[in-house]
Amino acid sequence: MKRILIIDDAATVRLYHRRILETANFAVEEAMNGIEALEKSLQSSFDLYLVDINMPKLDGYGFLRELRGSDLPQVPAIMISTEAQPADEQRAYAAGANLYVIKPVKPDQLLAQVRVLLGEVAQ
Amino acid sequence: MALVKTQTDEPITTDAREADRDCASLIVQLEASDPTARRWAARDLVDCPDASPVLVACLKQEADVSVREVILTTLTSLGDATAVAGLVDCLRSEEPALRNEAIEAMQQLPDEVAPIMRGLLADSDPDVRIFAVNILESLCHPEVETWLIEVIDHDSHVNVCGTAVDLLGEVGTVSARESLLRLKVRFADEPYIRFATDLALGRLREA
Repeated sequence: MKRILIIDDAATVRLYHRRILETANFAVEEAMNGIEALEKSLQSSFDLYLVDINMPKLDGYGFLRELRGSDLPQVPAIMISTEAQPADEQRAYAAGANLYVIKPVKPDQLLAQVRVLLGEVAQ
Repeated sequence: MALVKTQTDEPITTDAREADRDCASLIVQLEASDPTARRWAARDLVDCPDASPVLVACLKQEADVSVREVILTTLTSLGDATAVAGLVDCLRSEEPALRNEAIEAMQQLPDEVAPIMRGLLADSDPDVRIFAVNILESLCHPEVETWLIEVIDHDSHVNVCGTAVDLLGEVGTVSARESLLRLKVRFADEPYIRFATDLALGRLREA
């Protein structure tokens, strides 16, 4: 079972994404900010990250930069945010995101994107 | 193998003030190359009532997180109109860390932030409106639920409403019930809003 780490400071958003992913038989863990996500990544491995931008302690850009500069396994990351400006998307890719998605997501859309990044379906 | 504590004869470095402490000198020291000097200057400026403008200006340029933290603490202690306006300005920054620091600082100033909250919640930039809702998350003020209800009744942006619903799920009472039901109808084609409103409705407390 593929393992996905959801990183978001909003409890409702984490629960919404968790429900979508678990319904599709993914194993899900949660982190409230970038620091907690790095700690969880050191403890166990994930196949994909779902990363918010605005979070206390360490934001999503900071998390991705730390992750991409580390010896941790380099797996795909979807940055998912309320911020819809082109500059936000460019910055996400520069930090190490593989895909930029604007909230709120629809379940089918999220699952399709997750499966593409996990190599489960053709793009 | 047991851990052996290494003995050292090196003197402990003292993190101390070394320059003049009058307000004019402290303002000059905010530009020092040594972050320790800048940090002490920012800390001691708490006794200088007119320091907010210069602290606000430094905040936006300061790269050292520990210095920024002290600047924010001092601005929060000063809590005057310039300090609050400077923090509001940080909400428009492209730097998420600075935005989050400003949000946390503003959460410490309920009486000073309350008079401008409706303005922030009506800002033309939806990102600023979302950050304003984030401020309400830990703002100890009796009007928080009223402001959140106004947001979900009137804001047209799905993510502003979504952020408000998330918080209403934590602090909302039955007073929010009708507004939540209306929001669910207004964004009937958004699965996230349906999910979040159902969750919040199930968590409402007695008023």
